[in-house]
Amino acid sequence: MATRGSGPVITAQNLRKTFGSVQAVKDVSFDVEPGQVLGLLGPNGAGKTTTINMITTLLQIDGGEATVGGFDVRTQPEVVRQLIGLAGQSAAVDEKLTARENLELFGRLYKIPRNERRRRIEKLIERFDLGAFADRPASSYSGGERRRLDVVAALVAEPPAVFLDEPTTGLDPRSRSELWNTVRSLASNGVAIVLSTQYLEEADRLADEILVIDRGEIVAQGTPDALKHDLERDVLEVHVVDRTDVDTARELLGLDANVTTDVEARRIDIPVPGGADRSLDLLRQLQDGGVSISNFQLRQPTLDDVFLALTGSSVTETEEVTT
Amino acid sequence: MTTKDLDASTRAIVIDPGVTLKLRRAGQDTGTVLWRDMIRTTRQPEMLAFAVVMGVFFLVLFNYVFGGAIGAGAGFDYLQYLLPGVLVITALQGAQQTSMGLAADFNEGVNDRFRSLPMNQSAVITGRTIADALRNIAGLVLVALIGMLMGFRFSSFGGAVVAIALAIGMGYGFSWLGAAIAAKVRQPDMVGMLSMFWLFPLMLASTAFAPVESMPGWLQPLVRYQPISVASDAVRGLVNGIPVGDRITLTLVWIAVLLVVFVPMSVRLYRKVS
Repeated sequence: MATRGSGPVITAQNLRKTFGSVQAVKDVSFDVEPGQVLGLLGPNGAGKTTTINMITTLLQIDGGEATVGGFDVRTQPEVVRQLIGLAGQSAAVDEKLTARENLELFGRLYKIPRNERRRRIEKLIERFDLGAFADRPASSYSGGERRRLDVVAALVAEPPAVFLDEPTTGLDPRSRSELWNTVRSLASNGVAIVLSTQYLEEADRLADEILVIDRGEIVAQGTPDALKHDLERDVLEVHVVDRTDVDTARELLGLDANVTTDVEARRIDIPVPGGADRSLDLLRQLQDGGVSISNFQLRQPTLDDVFLALTGSSVTETEEVTT
Repeated sequence: MTTKDLDASTRAIVIDPGVTLKLRRAGQDTGTVLWRDMIRTTRQPEMLAFAVVMGVFFLVLFNYVFGGAIGAGAGFDYLQYLLPGVLVITALQGAQQTSMGLAADFNEGVNDRFRSLPMNQSAVITGRTIADALRNIAGLVLVALIGMLMGFRFSSFGGAVVAIALAIGMGYGFSWLGAAIAAKVRQPDMVGMLSMFWLFPLMLASTAFAPVESMPGWLQPLVRYQPISVASDAVRGLVNGIPVGDRITLTLVWIAVLLVVFVPMSVRLYRKVS
């Protein structure tokens, strides 16, 4: 088969999509190798779902091209559909059917022979711990149970390419970490995964490669570490004793808007290009100015810092506004 | 999950299926969707109940409220006149449910999953129209039985079977109209409203409830040849054992027209990708 040993399973080249006068996706390119997780990171409306929907044949590709397993999405969608599993925002399950019936439904539509189908469904139910609710209609599931079934439904055909569109949005921390384990185990079995998310932590933990996407454009690309490294500066995180000292510190250091302060948490994050020396200077300035520091650390930037630096807005802020 | 389980190289990919395999798979997929929709039907008995209750509502309302006025003047048993029309209308209610069901699929997002699967896309509609026709059979039999409790008499069993088959057939034709509306509009609320637009005028300006002779002259030709009228007349003749003239032929013609127009249209609209 074309996907084996011959490079990337999923490729996208200069993908473009326009809705009316809005350019939802402007110029998105990436490759995903077997066993690799590609994270599409960005706020709502960034173009993540549109990108995934184009590669999974749900939306027409306006410009550029995409392949799965070496097959062109535009000219051979029927073949591509045999190679993909889709879960998340747009691909739901039938709510009136039980988990077992849903898996049976999708297994039949994938044309998996009956015995093989039965065997796989039982195995999936056991592996992903669906047993407790496998025979109840999906409409009665909790958010976590529903998402788990969504993802498992994408795996019935054991596809080499899996697309997970914000699989953990709205999940509690425990269900989220269970899904993370699922994603890791898929990747370790050689599945190529495209995962979209609004959560920096999720991209950081799961993705081998991250595309930071904003308003349809890739604004940064690289491994989580490389993205953080590209900022070429550490962050000095200072905790002060008095809340009023947060503003005092701001004045003392003459800090620009790039600095994030949190009055409630009595915390100041200062990007420090100079590393340790510069940090000592800053801390000394604060001390001389009469600010009492309760704690400080020099740390690597988080993806939140990266996103802030790249787009001028925080992912978490955008998320609160839009959801 | 072992590596072997997910090893894609063991999987058979069909690149060029050829016509025979395509057709066989289309049949398989339709069967699968039908199986799914039948499960849904049994989980939503209110759908069937709604259709039957509407039928019974029309039977009771028209028979006891208007029956005297319409029947007495014409000098015939109004229930024998009314029930056939109600059977046809009950079948068309089923068509409306095809519309609502498909719109719900769009709404729940399960259609997007279907569209990402290697399946025949028109099977989603075909399977549902068949499932709705099967549910319609149950609905019509129940309405007929309740009509019999109210005093209705079928002249022959064979006539009853053919009559119900014709009503189901007309309902099936309209199912595809419903499917086209759902595939175009995709919003359950809008679909519900649009269904009223075609169902109510067709239903009231027909011979389902009153003979065409009782209507104004300019309206008569329209009423006489519209689908609900021809089907009502055909069913009425068959269950009462009276001659049907061109009515069965016209019913079959209407069913054919509906299918020829709306099968390709709804499949095209359903497949349409933005």
